[in-house]
Amino acid sequence: MLQTIIQNAVDAISLGSLFALTALGIGLIFGVMRLINFAHGDFIMVGAYALIVPSAADAAMMFIGAWPAPILVISIISVLIVLALASERVAFRPLRTADPSILLITSFALSFFLQNLVLMVYSGRPKGIPLWPNLIQPVLVGDIRIPQLHIITISVTLGLLALLVLFLKRTAIGIQMRAASEDFQMAQLLGVRGNRVIAVAFAISGLLAAVVALLFVAQTGTLSYKMGVPLVLFAFVATVVGGMGSLSGAVLGGFVVGIASVVFQAILPADMRLNDDAWVFGLILLILLVRPTGLVAVKALQERV
Amino acid sequence: MAQTALQSSVANTPDDKLEAFDISVDFEGLTAIDNVTIAMKNKEIFGLIGPNGAGKTTLVNVLTGFQKPTQGRVMLGGKDITGWAPHKLGRGGLARTFQAVRLFRDLPVVENLEVAAVGTGLGRREASKRALDILKWMDFEEKAFDQADTLPYGEERRVGIGRALAMSPRFVLLDEPAAGLSDAECDDLMSVISRVPDRFECGVLLIEHNMRVIMGVCHRIHVIDSGKTIAEGTPDEIQANPEVIRAYLGSKSEESRA
Amino acid sequence: MSDAAMDRPDTAAVRMVAVIRFFWTPIVLSLFALAVVVIVWASGDGVIARTITDALIRTVLVIGLYIFIGNSGVLAFGHIAFMLIGGYAAAWFTMSPFKKSFALDLPPILANNEFPLFPSAIVAGLLPALVAAIVGIPIMRLSGIAASIATFAVLAIFYTVYSNWDSWTFGASTLVGIPIYVNMWIALAWAVFAMFVAYIYQQTKFGLALRATREDPVAARAAGINISAQRLIAFVVSAFFMGIAGVLQAHFLGSLIVNGFWLGITFLSLAMLIIGGQRSLTGAVVGVTVVSTIVELLRQVEAGVEVGGITFELPGGFQELGLAVLMIVILIYRPAGIMGGLEVPWPFGGNRRVLAGGFTIVRAERAPAGE
Repeated sequence: MLQTIIQNAVDAISLGSLFALTALGIGLIFGVMRLINFAHGDFIMVGAYALIVPSAADAAMMFIGAWPAPILVISIISVLIVLALASERVAFRPLRTADPSILLITSFALSFFLQNLVLMVYSGRPKGIPLWPNLIQPVLVGDIRIPQLHIITISVTLGLLALLVLFLKRTAIGIQMRAASEDFQMAQLLGVRGNRVIAVAFAISGLLAAVVALLFVAQTGTLSYKMGVPLVLFAFVATVVGGMGSLSGAVLGGFVVGIASVVFQAILPADMRLNDDAWVFGLILLILLVRPTGLVAVKALQERV
Repeated sequence: MAQTALQSSVANTPDDKLEAFDISVDFEGLTAIDNVTIAMKNKEIFGLIGPNGAGKTTLVNVLTGFQKPTQGRVMLGGKDITGWAPHKLGRGGLARTFQAVRLFRDLPVVENLEVAAVGTGLGRREASKRALDILKWMDFEEKAFDQADTLPYGEERRVGIGRALAMSPRFVLLDEPAAGLSDAECDDLMSVISRVPDRFECGVLLIEHNMRVIMGVCHRIHVIDSGKTIAEGTPDEIQANPEVIRAYLGSKSEESRA
Repeated sequence: MSDAAMDRPDTAAVRMVAVIRFFWTPIVLSLFALAVVVIVWASGDGVIARTITDALIRTVLVIGLYIFIGNSGVLAFGHIAFMLIGGYAAAWFTMSPFKKSFALDLPPILANNEFPLFPSAIVAGLLPALVAAIVGIPIMRLSGIAASIATFAVLAIFYTVYSNWDSWTFGASTLVGIPIYVNMWIALAWAVFAMFVAYIYQQTKFGLALRATREDPVAARAAGINISAQRLIAFVVSAFFMGIAGVLQAHFLGSLIVNGFWLGITFLSLAMLIIGGQRSLTGAVVGVTVVSTIVELLRQVEAGVEVGGITFELPGGFQELGLAVLMIVILIYRPAGIMGGLEVPWPFGGNRRVLAGGFTIVRAERAPAGE
């Protein structure tokens, strides 16, 4: 009994970590630009597809995926940083001052674009790829079998979070980003270069997307052009639940969603279990209604009369 | 529903009153307003002045439902309206303008006024008629059908006042209507404001920094500094009051023109 | 309203011109749609007729979308939930008990009965309106972006539930056997009805009040307007038409699949509205027309185009790609869309621009005065 609980707990935290990282990627950009990047899930998807040779064939051939691990990781991170920066430059920079709803729709369009681009090049058939298959092997911790991958996911997440906190608190550009999140115009007046801060936010977002892509592919072993959608939807939920505009909220929201998802899976009777997605969205609705600003309210978003 | 709740036998009669008792507003440790009481009557032009940051706009926000007071009560015509939502107060006869004007930019000028009239319960046709009447009264008919965001600054503010008046208010609260206006435009403004009580049978609360305007049109003036009342009286009394003079000379405000 | 009209005697003819002028926008749009339908019907081409019927159904959908988004400025994302509810409701009411027994396991009142088509359509349209009224009460109190996300959450919930509700919806499989009766004329009738209702709504004080909340919610509240109530009204009316679009779709294809009411159609309908111009009824209709045409052209090219003996074929997904690019371009360079918030202009004199709900006088550009 205790075993199951602990296993479920590790599952939940591992899933929560993925959502937290994804939500963080979205939250960073929302902070500096008030843009909810719906295409973030598709950045992750592109990162995953970069592992294989572009081809519409059924069987996927590893491309970057066949390279040694450190080079693989750096390459995928680079690919997504470039993609994120390109997206910012082409699609979002011209809309810098637009309404958040317009920005959201634009990111929606970008998401559609990326999905269909991949569909055209790689075809719509899901492909199986074996990325680091040995990581699924469980390790024995006492009596409990925990897949190595979960441990890696959780540690990588904690490591990245720590690095990010250091970055935001200790480096000049990190502090500038926080200032810009609070009040973009004021920060600019104080000498913060808007373009640079936003570019950095996108770059970090790309990095986070790459990490999630690798962990996710290692876990599921499949690629599909729509694989980014559930990730971004849940990350979306996480950002709203945690409080839009707050990075700690995004992380908190990610864990809440991951845990809620596993809990619902575990406790709902079998025939309701298929609807666990619906329960998660029901949760978001409830939280929006009871506490519209999310769990961690951010003052900067409140309007002055 | 709110309309009947606020309709009373005193509406728009000489007995009508707008009062705020012992209002305090605290924001996380900062006291914006500290025990302020004001009372104004029907057809009175009541001025509210004070250095920048004194709490004037916050007080107007309390009176019009945009800010809940931490303590105190607001009464309209003897009825307690503390904490009522802005739209209910609007329907009930409390109209206001904003420092930032806040016109409905994509709509034509006349529709800006129509909306306010519709907000008090009129049908579209009557609202349109009332809007045009007011624009005519303000000498602004010729631009009635111009889009609101094509107007220059001074005219924008005029439309803002017109919009508040289109609500057939019992009391209209003007938040710094003279800001940024030239002397000639201020004269026009003063002329409009002084004609409002008779034309609309209402009271006017005027927040202003421009002393010429305040002294020129107000019947009574209430002075606030750092959230506290420091004086109330006629323009002559206020101008001679040593506390008032000290508050202004000692403050950062450079906009008082006597 | 018209200066010239005041000089002329108030005869029946003058009044009729005034009425036509008032309803000019929906009249012109309806005539345009009618012209297209008549031409295609006369040509006898069945394939194009189906394309046009599809476009007209989309018109009903996008007009429904416009009624809410255009007037309130709240970019709701979850509207397809209403199309989903309406479509399946139509199936529940109108499928024969015999066909229902194959795929579904409904309660006896639905399983054993088959109701007449028109009343079923109306009720199937009212059902999503009822849902909108219920979920709208809390949701419309939220700020713009939170409301957008909340409506999406509603869609996600319905999508997930319907995908798994095997006994009522046949789950993720295609439900077939729905009576087919929607042709160009029926779709046209509903589209015209939607145009007039949308237009009348925007002319009323409710439409006007809602548009004010779009411009400046703070000032609107000060002007006596109850923002949540106004949004709710538009939300419910809009849900009805989106439900009807679902009903029409069901009776056009004869089949339904839950997956067809998810992100693809959400994106397509929003694209149509935004590209055409979200702030006017003409924008909604123009958006459907332009995007449908482009999609159709791209579809032909995807299917293979012969140029000098060589067949050019584009891989699947190109349509959506093209649409996504177009949408991004419009959002960047002309965010107000093709119509830019304007309705159909009145061609007979007067330097007026017709806006949704009223008009403005066009003046020559002049240098800003003073400040």
